[in-house]
Amino acid sequence: MYTPRYAKINLSTGEIAEHPISRTYYEKYLGGKTLAARLLLDLMPSGLDPLAPEAVVVVNTGPLNGTGAPCSSRFNLSFKNVLTGGVASSNCGGSFGVMLKKAGFDGLIITGAAEKPVRIEALDGELSIIDAADLWGLDCEETQEKLPKAYGKLVTGPAGENLVRYAGLASGERMAGRCGPGAVFGAKKLKCVTAYGTARPYVAQPEKYHKYVQEWVRFVKNHSMTGDALPHYGSAGLVSKANASHALPTLNFKYGHDDLADTVSGETLAETRLTRNSGCVSCPIRCERRVMLDGREVKGPEYETVGFFGPNIGAHDLDAICRLNYVCDILGLDTISAASTIAYAMELYEDKGVDFGVRFGDVSNLEEILRKTALREGIYDELANGSKWLSEKYGGEDYAIHAKGLEMASYEPRRSVGMGLGYATSNRGGCHLNGGYLALLESVGVLSVAPQKPRSKGELAVFMQNALEAVSAAGCCLFSAQTFVPDIFFKLGPHHWVTRLVGKIFTLAGPVLRLLMAAGPLLRLNTLYILPHAQALRLCTGLPVFTGAFLRVGERSYNLERLFSVREGVTQDSLPGRVTRTPQVPGDPSTVVPLEKMLPVYYKTRGWKDGVPTKRTLKKLGIES
Amino acid sequence: MAYSITELCEGCTACARLCPVAAIAGTPKGMHTINPKRCVECGVCARACTKSAVADAAGNPLPRVPRKDWPKPAFAAENCSACGICVQACTAGALAISLPQFRGDLRVSAYLANEKKCVGCALCAQDCPMDAIRMQTPEVAA
Repeated sequence: MYTPRYAKINLSTGEIAEHPISRTYYEKYLGGKTLAARLLLDLMPSGLDPLAPEAVVVVNTGPLNGTGAPCSSRFNLSFKNVLTGGVASSNCGGSFGVMLKKAGFDGLIITGAAEKPVRIEALDGELSIIDAADLWGLDCEETQEKLPKAYGKLVTGPAGENLVRYAGLASGERMAGRCGPGAVFGAKKLKCVTAYGTARPYVAQPEKYHKYVQEWVRFVKNHSMTGDALPHYGSAGLVSKANASHALPTLNFKYGHDDLADTVSGETLAETRLTRNSGCVSCPIRCERRVMLDGREVKGPEYETVGFFGPNIGAHDLDAICRLNYVCDILGLDTISAASTIAYAMELYEDKGVDFGVRFGDVSNLEEILRKTALREGIYDELANGSKWLSEKYGGEDYAIHAKGLEMASYEPRRSVGMGLGYATSNRGGCHLNGGYLALLESVGVLSVAPQKPRSKGELAVFMQNALEAVSAAGCCLFSAQTFVPDIFFKLGPHHWVTRLVGKIFTLAGPVLRLLMAAGPLLRLNTLYILPHAQALRLCTGLPVFTGAFLRVGERSYNLERLFSVREGVTQDSLPGRVTRTPQVPGDPSTVVPLEKMLPVYYKTRGWKDGVPTKRTLKKLGIES
Repeated sequence: MAYSITELCEGCTACARLCPVAAIAGTPKGMHTINPKRCVECGVCARACTKSAVADAAGNPLPRVPRKDWPKPAFAAENCSACGICVQACTAGALAISLPQFRGDLRVSAYLANEKKCVGCALCAQDCPMDAIRMQTPEVAA
């Protein structure tokens, strides 16, 4: 009977040992962030500082990684969140995950801290800890250039080495940006993990799987979102959509619309800067932007980066956005947290006169400031701690736009209240993806499910969170979940009466969703159109993963992560005062996030009491705490 | 199971330089060895060996094949999803994704960009999830 292969590495002692994963764990948690959350709960002592030597970081893959399935190059890192103190998971594309599997490992559990800089190398089923003094101090790009080209790489940059609390990790040009994994690596003096091998990832029914993957790839290629909109405009194509529905954060979330947003939209990027599109290995969507910078081709900015280095700081310079995106990547900074912290600092200057040298509308000095922040130079040492830390010191909590300590993404929750609920309840903090990405159903997608009404949002958020968690556990990109919205609505368009009617019907979907989720594993209907990942997992793992069981994996994930955060004392599901108390349109109370109305429904649907999973819920899911 | 190198090896290093998965180690003029954990049995080393010093998994020596007769990948662009799996598999750097012909052109696909670099290992064809690559020996292609 197949079970995934995990190894445990203690950097303090140099000890390397296999870490057996039981068949029960495999069947319940599959892999990716779900299994990682279980391992974190099992292996990490409670109450540790996220940067303590004993802290555990799980680097792992999902069953579909490296098997050729569409969008299946995503790997996961789970650890204690540097910004929130709760759970953290960071997800990344690139070739590292695939290579880790080819090297013979499904996951690595890293603990301890080295005295001198080291790197971990996974080669052909063997692990070794190698001195990395020659790589320490180099940026993410230079580090990767010094390593063999064929290897999968996961590296921390100067920001991580200097323990910037929102430092990310780079794999090729992709980033595991959120929650501070770079700082966790930096604290362990772990410069990078490299992997190479030629093993073939396990597939239970290779022939059927191969055939199914081909159908699935064609399905993805023929869908309007994944086969047309995303390849053409990338995630940055959402700028104009968010702006039209007043959900594009502007001037540190003061407003949701910017008259000049078109100058930095995905369409403008495609028309004026794009050289070609590219993608992670095994992805037919290819949403990655390629742009020219200083005479060479680099990765272009994503939606969040455009929004946050654009309208949210009052700037409209697409060239500067491309440059700042590149600078963040090579320094190993999360663009969302870095730019959002800068926006907070800009408002802090206007409000209280605290001067970090940043002003709304001025991008001229931001490259220098990002470099100083990454090195924690002078006053920028404070900027490296994130907006929550700064607001606790200087005040202005209302406009420090974070949830639990993690800066929120570039969707204005006052025009997408379900997304607001997602930000508040998201285990890792203010994250759109971990929060269920209801913006897709409210403000940036083709369907519009009453963006300012709380009805059914609790149930929708739970359903979407579970589905997205399960997709991540499989090892797939969440963009593969864009096909959950049937293509017919894109063909009809957002203004067609059928599309609008379905949007309205969804506002009444709460009871039906509750029923579907209660049915659990009894739900067996599964096709390409309904959670295509489930069938792929069935053929790949040989386990009976049908629609209901697939959603249960996601539900276990959400509960496990919540258990970890509760154990660490992080339970408050809240949003900054700016979005819950100050109407976006002055005098219009419908333009705030009615969090207090949605939270009880959300908790009830989840089976939680005051944000904590009940024993009954855990028993239903088969989770032993 | 994996290929192995017999005592006939004179250490010319040709196999080590061509091995697409860097599975062969050895010093010039010294006997080379194949790392069995990494060998993918693609046969590139055997085709390149002038001394016929490479044996297959069963121990049978394999003949040398002149480079002009090595198989090459042929691409069915209509099946290709441009997912890049083959480009990553090709450590020789012979493959690439075609460039768009005009702004907004999404009909790009993998192709043999540098034929001279191709060693005919067929890893691209084996890994392609869409069956868009077939290995062809030159006479078939002609």
